[in-house]
Amino acid sequence: MKSEVKITGNRLQITRVFDAPRERLFAAWKQKDLLQRWTGCKETKKVEIEMDFQVGGSFTQKMNIAGVGEHSITGIYDEIIEPEKISYHVNLGSATTRVTVEFIEQGKQTKVVLTQDGFPDPNLCKMVSQGTEEALDKLEQLLVGQMA
Amino acid sequence: MLNAVVNKQNRMTVVFAALADPTRRRIVERVSEHGAIRVTALAKPFRISLPAISRHLRVLENARLIHRQRKGRLHLIGARAAGLQAAQKWIAQCAAHWDSQFDALDELLKSEADEEAKP
Repeated sequence: MKSEVKITGNRLQITRVFDAPRERLFAAWKQKDLLQRWTGCKETKKVEIEMDFQVGGSFTQKMNIAGVGEHSITGIYDEIIEPEKISYHVNLGSATTRVTVEFIEQGKQTKVVLTQDGFPDPNLCKMVSQGTEEALDKLEQLLVGQMA
Repeated sequence: MLNAVVNKQNRMTVVFAALADPTRRRIVERVSEHGAIRVTALAKPFRISLPAISRHLRVLENARLIHRQRKGRLHLIGARAAGLQAAQKWIAQCAAHWDSQFDALDELLKSEADEEAKP
């Protein structure tokens, strides 16, 4: 786990410093061809993305996940402040997942702060992944007592 | 396989929908602190009616975050640790998911930098 993780109640905040300028990080979220290259986990065999990158615009990520099959999620962009912030939500029946990504300049580096609440996460990948158990055990030890 | 995954996700949707409400989150906190507590005692700090509290309790019961013990007319509310642990585990899985996504993003940024460095 290279990211810093903070959990309060039903909110997750995950922070990572990247060795790249802010514009480049923002572009990795904004441009379909770039987003397609890093989105989806190890189990994802293929990702197809359609996106209308503007406030009120929607996006669809169609993933082909090993052991699960086709799975797609559709979300809507709520806030876009280039190159500082992107906020979107995904409706999942009775729950809505909200994700906010903030890009903070730190000299030549960029700190990315991702906040998510209103789970569950639409990504099914980790449900079928076996490889991360060790990381999860460590995380769970960290989390004991933080939820209640 | 897919069914098991979807069922688990549906169950977690119920848990997180229950936890999405601030009053219900406070009820869970209060129950966790007190162990078994009477409904009337539990309701005391909340500025809402007893029937409203009862509705919240039903949602939490349904999500398996609390349990109700009946002793005659007395209803005792207790916490169900397993429900909260499942929620925690789910968030931990999401954190691990984003972490691996960030690894992939990092790789992409490095490969971009390498391409630019070429003459």
